[in-house]
Amino acid sequence: MTVHVTPPSSSAAVASPAVVVSNLRRAYGNRVVIDRLNLRIERGEFVALLGESGCGKTTLLRALAGLDPVQGGRIAAPRRPAVVFQEHRLLPWDSLWRNVSLGLQVPDARERAADALAEVGLGDRLDDWPRNLSGGQAQRVALARALVQQPELLLLDEPFASLDALTRIRMHDLVRELVANHRPGVLLVTHDVDEAIALADRILVMRDGAIAFEHRKADDSASIERAALLAELGVFASTRP
Amino acid sequence: MQAHPRQKIFLPPERSGRNHKTPERTTIEKPLYFRSRSFVGQFACVLRVAVGSGTASELLCLFLYPRDTRRNKTCRSRNRAALSNIEQAVAATKFDQVRTADETASPQRASTLLSGKRGLLLLSWLAPAALVIVWEVLARAGWISPQVLPAPDRIIATAIKLTTTGSLLNDLGVSLLRAAAGFAIGGSVGFVLGILVGFSRVAEAAIDRSVQMIRAIPFLAVLPLVIVWLGVGEAEKIFLVALGVTFPIYINTTLGIRQVDPKLIELGRVQGLGQLELIRRIVLPGALPSILTGVRYALATAWLALVVAETIGAQSGLGFLAMDAREFLRTDVIVLTIVIYALIGVAADAIARLLERRLLAWHPNYGGGR
Repeated sequence: MTVHVTPPSSSAAVASPAVVVSNLRRAYGNRVVIDRLNLRIERGEFVALLGESGCGKTTLLRALAGLDPVQGGRIAAPRRPAVVFQEHRLLPWDSLWRNVSLGLQVPDARERAADALAEVGLGDRLDDWPRNLSGGQAQRVALARALVQQPELLLLDEPFASLDALTRIRMHDLVRELVANHRPGVLLVTHDVDEAIALADRILVMRDGAIAFEHRKADDSASIERAALLAELGVFASTRP
Repeated sequence: MQAHPRQKIFLPPERSGRNHKTPERTTIEKPLYFRSRSFVGQFACVLRVAVGSGTASELLCLFLYPRDTRRNKTCRSRNRAALSNIEQAVAATKFDQVRTADETASPQRASTLLSGKRGLLLLSWLAPAALVIVWEVLARAGWISPQVLPAPDRIIATAIKLTTTGSLLNDLGVSLLRAAAGFAIGGSVGFVLGILVGFSRVAEAAIDRSVQMIRAIPFLAVLPLVIVWLGVGEAEKIFLVALGVTFPIYINTTLGIRQVDPKLIELGRVQGLGQLELIRRIVLPGALPSILTGVRYALATAWLALVVAETIGAQSGLGFLAMDAREFLRTDVIVLTIVIYALIGVAADAIARLLERRLLAWHPNYGGGR
């Protein structure tokens, strides 16, 4: 009962995809986590990936990030993607600009890091330590660290899950703005249906190791039906008014 | 034991009935022992705590609340007033009056808490100074024979004499050089082995078990063997120091590398760091707290190894100085060398701590956090 997602043809900018996944397969021992999964994300497209816990969302993201070897199928990405994890994963022994420029192989790393930090509203904290940051600020630095690489594909692994509700809303605005400016392809893995609706152009629901449901914002001009998405996730409208 | 009846005021059954403090806790909070006016009285009370109840928590209170001792000196008059309050309370034998005495004491406590930190620091230095003074007084009074333990001033005089006319500085230099050489060799070996084992499973399989087996030997036990191999020259001493230093550094380096958060290593890979960059930017900084702990520990071991090595067949160095003095029953010189050993040990530890504070400025437990 796997539904294969065909590459979008309607979209005007079909110039270059950020990533194309074909027939991906991933198993831990005998347990197949990802089974013949197909996915294509365009540059500048914001895709949210929903699914119940353990459905393989994070496994897919790790495969895209190159953290796990590909066992079957193919992942074609032009460049190494950038990742923002659920935890900020800042190096506690490096100042903020050193954290942001981690892995940057350019002579003007500090300037680039300064620009990126300014973009997330922390331009005055270049030489500060990560331990002096709040949770939201640390996650903003993590975003800056991802974007300073100028990625064509940005992977967000539940990056707002550990933030409080207000900070999360501010982060949504920031991410929307950053993505609009840099136009990478984005894959947001999340549990939060509302977050997916708020941010994504396209929402995928993953089940049994493959994409089971796809909803495109352009499909119905108004909004994505929350109830329909929840139903896909096994939560029916009666449980919540 | 005059304080005894007074102290009882603070253990009324009603207080324990109030249920927010146990009677024992009350004694800890209001250590009346320290308020008694005479030194003898205090001493007796301390003894009472140690012998009478003997619980660790009560003994601990002697260290936790030393500011009361200080207050004993500075606010004596206030204490007299408080004491007379208490005496009145005894006369009246009404516990609620005692409670008011408690409450008048609490703002005092708050005010000493404000200046308490400096007071504690002062006391922490005054206490050892007082010990030295007691030692000096006892020695001068003839209670301690100079053959057993010469007076501190005698030791200082000996130090000056040996520095100006004797070979103290030379011996000190020789000892320090041995320690430094041994530390450098042992430290390098331990660090390199630690890095190898920390990074490579093959190296771990090849090296770790053997090292752990050798580590099980108390390194001083191999001394006779080392003397057979290397004689009683410099090599033997440096070898012994190096041997003592290698293992703490090795263990803490491997441990530190193992303890680096795998999530950070994953991040390094995501950011596209190469293997060497990964080590330089993430693994070594992450392992540094543990490595520095090893360094601190190794400094102590190095010093211990040196003392033992120098005690046997040395021609120069502090240990030689001490053994030479033993021949002539020069207790003052022996004690002097012991004091110097202690001072250098303290200095080495201070250097290690300084390193920690500098290199681990980012770490909440070491750097700016304190």
